[in-house]
Amino acid sequence: MSYAIYLATIFCIYAIAGVSLNLVVGYAGLLSITHAAFFGIGAYATAILATKFGADFFLAVLVGIGITAAISWCAGIIMSRLGGDYYVLGTVSFNYVVINIMVNWDGLTNGPLGIPGIPKPSLFGFSFSSNILFLVLSVLFLAAVYAVSYWITTSSFGRVIKAIREDEEAVRVFGYRTISYKLAIFMISAAMAALAGGLFASFITFIDPTSFNVMESVFMLAIVIVGGFGNIKGSLIGAFLLVLIPELLRFVGFSADIAAYMRQAVYGLALVLFMLYRPKGLIGEYKL
Amino acid sequence: MEIFPQLLANSIVAGSTYALIALGFNLIYGATKFVNMSHGAVAATGAYAVFFLTTSTGVDIWVAAVLGVCAAGIVGFFLDKTIFSPLRARKASNVTSFIASLGAFTVIQALIAVFFTSEFHTLSTGNDIYVYEIAGASITQIQFIIICAALVIFLGLALILNKTIFGKAVKAISDDEEVARVLGINTDRIIGYVFFIGSALAGVAGIFVGFDFGIQPTMGLLILLEGATASIIGGIGNIYGGFLGSFLLALVENFGIWKIPSQWKTAISFGLLLVFLIFRPKGIFKK
Repeated sequence: MSYAIYLATIFCIYAIAGVSLNLVVGYAGLLSITHAAFFGIGAYATAILATKFGADFFLAVLVGIGITAAISWCAGIIMSRLGGDYYVLGTVSFNYVVINIMVNWDGLTNGPLGIPGIPKPSLFGFSFSSNILFLVLSVLFLAAVYAVSYWITTSSFGRVIKAIREDEEAVRVFGYRTISYKLAIFMISAAMAALAGGLFASFITFIDPTSFNVMESVFMLAIVIVGGFGNIKGSLIGAFLLVLIPELLRFVGFSADIAAYMRQAVYGLALVLFMLYRPKGLIGEYKL
Repeated sequence: MEIFPQLLANSIVAGSTYALIALGFNLIYGATKFVNMSHGAVAATGAYAVFFLTTSTGVDIWVAAVLGVCAAGIVGFFLDKTIFSPLRARKASNVTSFIASLGAFTVIQALIAVFFTSEFHTLSTGNDIYVYEIAGASITQIQFIIICAALVIFLGLALILNKTIFGKAVKAISDDEEVARVLGINTDRIIGYVFFIGSALAGVAGIFVGFDFGIQPTMGLLILLEGATASIIGGIGNIYGGFLGSFLLALVENFGIWKIPSQWKTAISFGLLLVFLIFRPKGIFKK
């Protein structure tokens, strides 16, 4: 039972990451492979504020979201100058640089050793220390992110974002500053990733730079691709499948170390097979 | 040992490795017009093939190296035939091919880790390490071989691309695959060969990195990003630009760590990449 609760919580965290990444990749059509960097910045901000400054979890997450939004704004401005292949490579490089900083800025991040002992959240003296309560909190956060994303995608703002994906030139002709729209959705998405990162740090209680490297960004992209571009419901399905299927391999009898690589092989294979046989994902609304 | 000649020598060694990666990367990009992420994993495959052959079968190091290069070439060719060629036949967008190559990269990296563990290993020539002293810089034997091999491969490739019918076909496909096919060029076969050659070059680079620094399953991503960075600096899809970009990148990296602590080396190279992406996105040589 506790294993099921653990899996459900992990699902919630990655579903938040997947839904938020879909806003950028699926709706705005910006292929970004740096989501784990924003997830990681949120996680580190939460962990550092909670362990070094004794900050409350909710305050720490809020500050983490603010920091991530500011960093994503800077990154987004640089990226907005890039198009096509260069955009993708720019995002991968950004992820790499963020990891480089996490590993080398010892004084702040504790380097490759990571930060242990991240506390569980508590609100008005009520602690979310038990796993079931933490799951409730995660579900609430996922519901909030999903609701906001749903609202965004059905609003007039969301329609402009989708129009930019189809034909940016045409949208610009109609007088929209497309760069501001792309920057806005990029920041919103990064902020949601930071929220998921904060949850992740508190749930696992230990973080190190390897949890946020480029391969993790690829995993989050795989969630979006399996579910389908431009459909946030799809990202829930994608997160469900990609969190669950590798866990099944654990029962086959692989050791923990090998199981981690089998997880990687599973989502890598999913990317290849989906591109070959169903490029728009399970319930995608946008074809690449 | 003086610092300036040594840094220059290090730059030339690093630049040679980047150039090998960039050459293969640009060759494939030129023919197919998508960023092939699996290129990095193919480089790692070459290095691990040599590691496997030298540690478990005990064949001669040179035989192992040649087999390793072939293994990388075959893996690249196989990826083209099973993944990229069907995608081309369906006229899939370059983003689709890119994501598929990302998936292939992920799978290969995971498989290497499963079979060889994620531990760090070193490749060694088995002999004593000779160190040459040239103009105040010390260069190991393997580094000397890297420089010579990169030069020979570059000249050979330039000769093939400029003087043979195969080279002309590759150029025609790079200009416009559709037109090349109409003119009677078997584009699918030529692109298959391009994948073999490009991936074999990646294998050479991977093996050199293995001898010079060591091997790890995750080595492919950094190799790929450095090759891609060099390509972008020189002008993506342009093999001569890639060569120049590689040495510029190596110079900036190696002279950068003169003043900045060396663990920031990758940050320096990606900083340089960002500068180029923003101010000169088409590279030194615009096409």
